[in-house]
Amino acid sequence: MYETTYHKAGNVAEAASLLAAAEDGQLLAGGQTLIPTMKARLAAPSDLVDISGASDMRGITVNVSAVTIGAMMTHAEVAANADLFAICPALSNLAARIGDPAVRNRGTLGGSLANNDPAADYPAAMLSLDATVVTNTREIAADAFFTGLFETALAEGEIITGVSFTAPGKAAYQKFPNPASRYAMCGVFVSVGPSGPRVAVTGAGADGVFRATEIETALQAKLDPHAIDKVSLDAKAMLSDLHGDGAYRANLVKVMTKRAVAALD
Amino acid sequence: MSAIAVSTTINGDEVEFLCQAEETLLDVLRERLGLTGAKEGCGTGDCGACSVMVDGRLVCACLVLGAEAEGRSIETIEGMANGDELHPLQTKFLEHAALQCGVCTPGFLVAAKALLDANPDPTEEEIRFWLAGNLCRCTGYDKIVRAVQDAAQELRGS
Amino acid sequence: MSVAKSLPHDAAPLHVTGTARYVDDIPLPANTLHLAFGLSEVAHGEIVSVDLDAVWAAPGVITVLTAADLPHENDVSPAPLPEPMLAVDTVHYVGQPIFLVVATSHLAARKAAKLGRIDIKPLPALFSVDEAMAADSRFEDGPRIYSKGDAAQAISQSPHILEGSIEMGGQEHFYLEGQAAAAMPQEGGDMIVYSSTQHPTEIQHKVAHALGTHMNAVRVETRRMGGGFGGKESQGNALAVSCAVAASITGKPCKMRYDRDDDMIITGKRHDFRIDYRVGFDDEGRISGVEFLQLCRCGWSIDLSLPVADRAMLHADNAYAIPNMRVESHRLKTNTQSATAYRGFGGPQGMLGIERVLDHVAHAIGRDPMEVRRLNYYRDMGDTGPGTGQRFGGKHSPNAEDIGPETTHYGMPVEDFVLHGMTEALVEKSDYFRRKAAVSEWNASHATLKKGIALSPVKFGISFTLTHLNQAGALVHVYQDGSIHMNHGGTEMGQGLFQKVAQVAAARFGVGAEQVKITATDTAKVPNTSATAASSGSDLNGMAVQAACDTIRARLASFVAERAGTDPADVRFEDGAVHVGNQALPFEDVVSDAYLARISLSSTGFYATPKVAWDRIKGEGRPFFYFSYGVAVTEVVVDTLTGENRILRADILHDCGASLNPAIDIGQIEGGYVQGAGWLTTEELIWDSEGRLRTHAPSTYKIPACSDRPDIFNVSLWDGENREKTVYRSKAVGEPPFMLGISAHCALSDAVAACGAGYPDLNAPATAEEVLASIGRARS
Repeated sequence: MYETTYHKAGNVAEAASLLAAAEDGQLLAGGQTLIPTMKARLAAPSDLVDISGASDMRGITVNVSAVTIGAMMTHAEVAANADLFAICPALSNLAARIGDPAVRNRGTLGGSLANNDPAADYPAAMLSLDATVVTNTREIAADAFFTGLFETALAEGEIITGVSFTAPGKAAYQKFPNPASRYAMCGVFVSVGPSGPRVAVTGAGADGVFRATEIETALQAKLDPHAIDKVSLDAKAMLSDLHGDGAYRANLVKVMTKRAVAALD
Repeated sequence: MSAIAVSTTINGDEVEFLCQAEETLLDVLRERLGLTGAKEGCGTGDCGACSVMVDGRLVCACLVLGAEAEGRSIETIEGMANGDELHPLQTKFLEHAALQCGVCTPGFLVAAKALLDANPDPTEEEIRFWLAGNLCRCTGYDKIVRAVQDAAQELRGS
Repeated sequence: MSVAKSLPHDAAPLHVTGTARYVDDIPLPANTLHLAFGLSEVAHGEIVSVDLDAVWAAPGVITVLTAADLPHENDVSPAPLPEPMLAVDTVHYVGQPIFLVVATSHLAARKAAKLGRIDIKPLPALFSVDEAMAADSRFEDGPRIYSKGDAAQAISQSPHILEGSIEMGGQEHFYLEGQAAAAMPQEGGDMIVYSSTQHPTEIQHKVAHALGTHMNAVRVETRRMGGGFGGKESQGNALAVSCAVAASITGKPCKMRYDRDDDMIITGKRHDFRIDYRVGFDDEGRISGVEFLQLCRCGWSIDLSLPVADRAMLHADNAYAIPNMRVESHRLKTNTQSATAYRGFGGPQGMLGIERVLDHVAHAIGRDPMEVRRLNYYRDMGDTGPGTGQRFGGKHSPNAEDIGPETTHYGMPVEDFVLHGMTEALVEKSDYFRRKAAVSEWNASHATLKKGIALSPVKFGISFTLTHLNQAGALVHVYQDGSIHMNHGGTEMGQGLFQKVAQVAAARFGVGAEQVKITATDTAKVPNTSATAASSGSDLNGMAVQAACDTIRARLASFVAERAGTDPADVRFEDGAVHVGNQALPFEDVVSDAYLARISLSSTGFYATPKVAWDRIKGEGRPFFYFSYGVAVTEVVVDTLTGENRILRADILHDCGASLNPAIDIGQIEGGYVQGAGWLTTEELIWDSEGRLRTHAPSTYKIPACSDRPDIFNVSLWDGENREKTVYRSKAVGEPPFMLGISAHCALSDAVAACGAGYPDLNAPATAEEVLASIGRARS
């Protein structure tokens, strides 16, 4: 069992060097997953690097349709940003429905992406929006970033500093929340950009967030809820757990997709 | 184990304490500072019984480290009344019988105050959804929502 | 008078300022030690070896105890059969405590408790009621059977016969304050225990045995619990005993509290049931006979399962006069947590069984289920009180056989049945018929969202079915300044008992309730108490306090009457004064004079419930002093594509007799309804194939939240008084309203039935997934 040392980083570079120096270091962003996980395992990392004071990981900029969001922006801050709401309300609404007010005041975009919980909301948005995840060393396309359950393309010690994407013409997110945790039992983010519809699903896939390519093809032909009536989803590819089986989730994916398409804004 | 020295403000008073890295703000409040109004209902941020304000934002004290309190301003249930004068929310919880066992009550009051600070005239639905992170097993919530509505009205002076 | 007033909960000013103290908030000496259990990770098996070296070596550990290290009894059972606190040789469920860690902090104890290496040779484990039935794994020799008439014959001769089955899940109490206890060692081996318990006397009893001493050496104090709901009737024993034993061994104060996940993994929950039924009925829906098979999953230890299962049988009729009935109950032993008391104590399960039958019958004949319910109600006894001209035995009285009470399937006459009038009133008040028509109209024109509406009644028996428990004691002091100190055996868990009983005390002395000091339940003040359970708190303790007050009052009345030369019977205690002749003497002055005149101003009080007598083996007698009644109408909406559902409106009319405190009683009704609806909708307990409880935190186990509150929630009290002589003619209110939540389940079933011609067979809890599946059944 470790004893933990607590550090505070003022910027990304400082965080990176503190992390590099630690035996088993861990970034502390909003702590809404990390702290309960530490409690549940009754173990702790050797070093905690608190990045809440990292000023270069904050802010939201909207330049025509180019959007960047700092990794340390909380869900509440993302939800409340007027510039973002004006150009991509679907993402604002997504952020406004994560967890409860206390979670939204602490949880961060970067933390959510780095953790890649298979039922988290943001990964679906990033994948659908074809976003770029910016780290202290490189830029990673969302399609390459999410690699499996709680797995990402991040290297050891690599830190997400923010994301960037081009706001789509239309987008919508529909989620069926788990009634207890408010994580998605199924969340579908649909966006329609220059290259056509991109549909990303969270909470339902057996391997975590995924792009529903058959649905995209159907929507490419006709952007209408009924366009996906004939799409059949393999229940075996869906998550089956105590909250619902694969068939139930496969049904939810179609229902949520239809509602998202109907709500495109 | 090397303890961390933390300077912070709690309910307007400057406070210094020592804590370990993995101690939560809730542990510190309850065990080091004797402020037992915030309760541990679940320890995982799901019940809201440990709701406190950090720099004006509602958080679960069980999901904040004590060390993170450095330089911040913390408000707890113990600071809600002004001396013997209860906050209107507290008065309305009494008048509406909006409590039973009382464990969730401090968290509800802190969360409701956070709501009314930001939104003095919330709709009934806004109240319900804002307070959805605070669990109560006794009351069925009806009287809680009514008490918050009534307090909001009084605070607006109408 | 201070009764029948909506005064706030006595500790409300402390609660809103965060200063009310629960066990974990009590300041203890700095050298206090903290405890945690090491738990079994196997559902059933023989303990081959226990290696605790790493536990001993962990930081902060003072000592580690196994069953063999306990100095005296290793038993925390509330029943005659033993229940080991720490496993001996065999483990029986995942989560069973095997060893006890004593450490310098809560966290240190918990961390160390994870380090035990227990080698367990697995044995075959039983999880479901079917597995237990097949293995004949049960408590008691065989099933209990209560019956009336010949159900099988009546059913076979009926125009219509239906069979069915309903599964209903258990329920986690989720009291917001988890289990907690602390023990302070005293001189000469005595022990003081602070416990979050509904049953301080049992804690005292168990601690005494564990310490090898007598009950007089142990004092247990309980100021309040942060919720109980039955979950602190027996489940706190292990913590209190652990603290006392560890305090005795180390000589230091010891405290133990379960973290939420430990609490959910270790402690018992509501019993889950499967109820199979067969019913015979006529074209109108009048039921001639019912047979029930109740399969009750009790878990590994007997705990309170027998009386729980009995009460499920006793409520298998709910509000219906069924001429022929047979209830067969199996109490099945499984390798899961030992199911325990939970608000309603089996009553809700039995009642859901018969309410399902009524719905199924109504569906089969195409009638409004509300009408079929009314048709089958017990005979109306609402107008048979004094002054109604319908008293029996008088010269001009009608024959009791024609209008007298009908009897239940266990032979108790239902003398106080008021549900006809209550149903009529609520149908009117809730605008039932118009809304029922509107729901049909909505369903005819909407494909995705379907609505449902249902009315369900509650008739709940009040008294402990173990007759000797129906007793209570109190201790009242009047101090020479006129202030009053009140103590009784009931415990406060948020239900407002202390306030209601204080109002009784104040009313007896004719003073304001603020003049009565409410004090912590303390086994040294009032001995040999029963658990605060079975909704009996106010009935029993209110009467005991009244008796104590009346003893003192009689002494004061004699004293002032003698002084004034009048009859003590003419002395009145009202408005803070003692009225004698035409004088009104301030209460304080009379008390002060009485003290100087050397009159005792302290008294105990005692109460034993009359009339109850019950043979639980034969299933005959009068287990209950009286019944409490309620009726609810719930309207819901269901999303037929996802199964998601929501309560739109709830209307409730409930019978509290002459309420001691309407605000507190309405609070119990609202909270009970929501908790009952939670049981039947979102609260799903899931064990995996290894017997591990997977839903052990609020992130996986969903209790109702503020956002689930019905949009419209109307609660009112039935204007009546208890025909039995209870305290100020009030009625018990703790458990009965819980079962009003059944109307939510019936309404969901009604909504699902709108999706197709089939019967939905909706099980409980009706989670979104279950609702979607039952929509499929209705359509097929």
